[in-house]
Amino acid sequence: MASVDTAAPRGHDKKKKKRRKMRRIGIRIDMTPMVDVAFLLLTFFMLTTSMSRPQTMEINLPPGDTKVEVAESNLLTLRVKEDGSIYWNMGIDRPQKVDFKSLRPLLGQKAQQNPKLITLVKIDRKGKYKMMVDVMDELNLANITRFSIAPMQDVDQRILEKASS
Amino acid sequence: MPKIKKSRVGVRVDMTPMVDVAFLLLTFFMLTTQFKPPEEVQIILPSSHSTFKLPESDVMTVTISKDSRIFLGVDNQYVRSKIFGPENRLRPEVEVDIKQLGNLLVQARMASPKLRTVVKGDKDAEYGVAEDVMDILQKTNITRFNLVTDLARD
Repeated sequence: MASVDTAAPRGHDKKKKKRRKMRRIGIRIDMTPMVDVAFLLLTFFMLTTSMSRPQTMEINLPPGDTKVEVAESNLLTLRVKEDGSIYWNMGIDRPQKVDFKSLRPLLGQKAQQNPKLITLVKIDRKGKYKMMVDVMDELNLANITRFSIAPMQDVDQRILEKASS
Repeated sequence: MPKIKKSRVGVRVDMTPMVDVAFLLLTFFMLTTQFKPPEEVQIILPSSHSTFKLPESDVMTVTISKDSRIFLGVDNQYVRSKIFGPENRLRPEVEVDIKQLGNLLVQARMASPKLRTVVKGDKDAEYGVAEDVMDILQKTNITRFNLVTDLARD
């Protein structure tokens, strides 16, 4: 184990010379406990430290009182039901159900077909927060940066009911 | 007899370099570590593919818990004592009512204009509450905010 040997001081007179000889043996400090504690702290800090900061998704909302007119042909509506099933439609077409897995290719294809595409996302209030993040993540991955979130209204509920029946 | 005594001395390994390295690592970890602020509720973050990092300082966090409670937290003690009163100065997050949220957000922004707003919602929180929070943010003119997510692995 690590130990410290103290160098003996050089004396001039005889008295000190005698002492020096005794000191020659050296003081051995047992460093084991200190090193133990050091390793304990090291493991503690290594385990508790978190290297990565959490990721975030940036969202820009339009100011409250702006209204944008969108042509129906450019409007893609995504509706998410309470149970997480996703329905999409262009303009006023009949909504079609889409799997979450096939949402990404669908969005990519739509975005490529129509660069002016504007997406409207409507999520049921009783749905989960995760659904919103998932859908927005898919939109971001499909490079659709222009989308807006709108509340789901009774009209939408009825449309969905009609589509799923 | 002397032979036995010689082997008694044993093998001495010089541990000094190892201990040196250990101390080096210890200092490194001690200096770089940042303790996670204690949270009022545990939040399980949803995952996304976004790689934008959370800003380190001047963050105002609106937390939505699984059971639809809302917490407001600011990482600045001065702002905290200004909006929640000095007795709540040391609490990282304070539970707020959704009706007061707008008011508190405005106060916080007035106390420190460069605050960035971050919404941290639990994965299983109800969407309706998140919608209300976003509505309030929009009404208080905070049109740019971030959603905290975990990095998705797939």
